Amino acid sequence: MHEASIALSLIDVASEVLRENGAARASALTVRVGQWSSVVPEALTAAFPTCAQGTPLEGARLSVVTVPGVGECPVHGRVTLDVTRGLRCPECGAPTPTLLAGDELELDEIELAEPDLEDV
Amino acid sequence: MTVANPRIVTVRQNILKANDHTAAENRAAFAAAGVRTINLASSPGAGKTALLERTLRDLAGQVSMAVAVGDLATENDAARLRQHGAQAEQIVTGTICHLDAAMVQAVLPRFDLAGLEVLFLENVGNLVCPSSYDLGEAARAVLISTTEGEDKPLKYPTMFNTADVVVITKMDLADAVGFDRDLCRENIDRARPGVPVIELSSRSGAGLDAWFAFVRGERA
Ligand SMILES: [Zn+2]
Repeated sequence: MHEASIALSLIDVASEVLRENGAARASALTVRVGQWSSVVPEALTAAFPTCAQGTPLEGARLSVVTVPGVGECPVHGRVTLDVTRGLRCPECGAPTPTLLAGDELELDEIELAEPDLEDV
Repeated sequence: MTVANPRIVTVRQNILKANDHTAAENRAAFAAAGVRTINLASSPGAGKTALLERTLRDLAGQVSMAVAVGDLATENDAARLRQHGAQAEQIVTGTICHLDAAMVQAVLPRFDLAGLEVLFLENVGNLVCPSSYDLGEAARAVLISTTEGEDKPLKYPTMFNTADVVVITKMDLADAVGFDRDLCRENIDRARPGVPVIELSSRSGAGLDAWFAFVRGERA
């Protein structure tokens, strides 16, 4: 399993975003994981808290959005792929060699933790 | 009184962008040196090292080759490969179950890239993790042996989906283990429609010509 490596890369990317935004910490982050990305969402969620210790992401809530595979059938247009059936149209079985969606592994959003605001 | 609204920043960035950046640097270095790099991935025991040994032996004197081999701890594979006269450098990955672009970049100074025609990157035996990591290779070969079962391509679709060629190894054992060739090829084609498939046996030598053509970059 390489989810610990993925979690460390995620923390690097997120930390950079925090720096760019002048934020010290994040309270939550959302990650999009394609079904064809070879990353298991549960394993990533399990690895993240330990990897985040001592970083600006410590304690941040990680949400993983799973993105289904989408291919293009010559007859049926855009179709949702079932990962266990391969790159084939679920309607007619035609090969759909190009993955239009479903191989992503990306940091989608970060919720910055703001310091408590003073009364105005 | 104001309430602290959470500030949400839309990022939409590839988590592995640092690896992809390093992979692009590797790819540029390989192109500048004129060396063809082949990333080999498979399950443990699928015969990567045996195929490389045979390749180094049979193409010795014809193609100038070297190997960077990723392994969890031991240096057995590199030692085996050096017996065939080619340079083989170990990349010890420790607990990490895949090669990444930075590990490859770190080992490159040990090679005279300009003097090489082909550099093999033998990945850690694993059909999951290596698929996420571009190393900067020109081509990715995924190996599956006849002894592993025909459903591997559908169990590990991402690895097969990133292959430039799929090699079925240990064809000399196909009959003995009841290997269903047509089913295996159908499953490979489901995971990667149209990918070239090479069937071979490193032991008997059957099918090696097609593999050697791929190594030289003469086809797919
Ligand atoms: Zn269709």
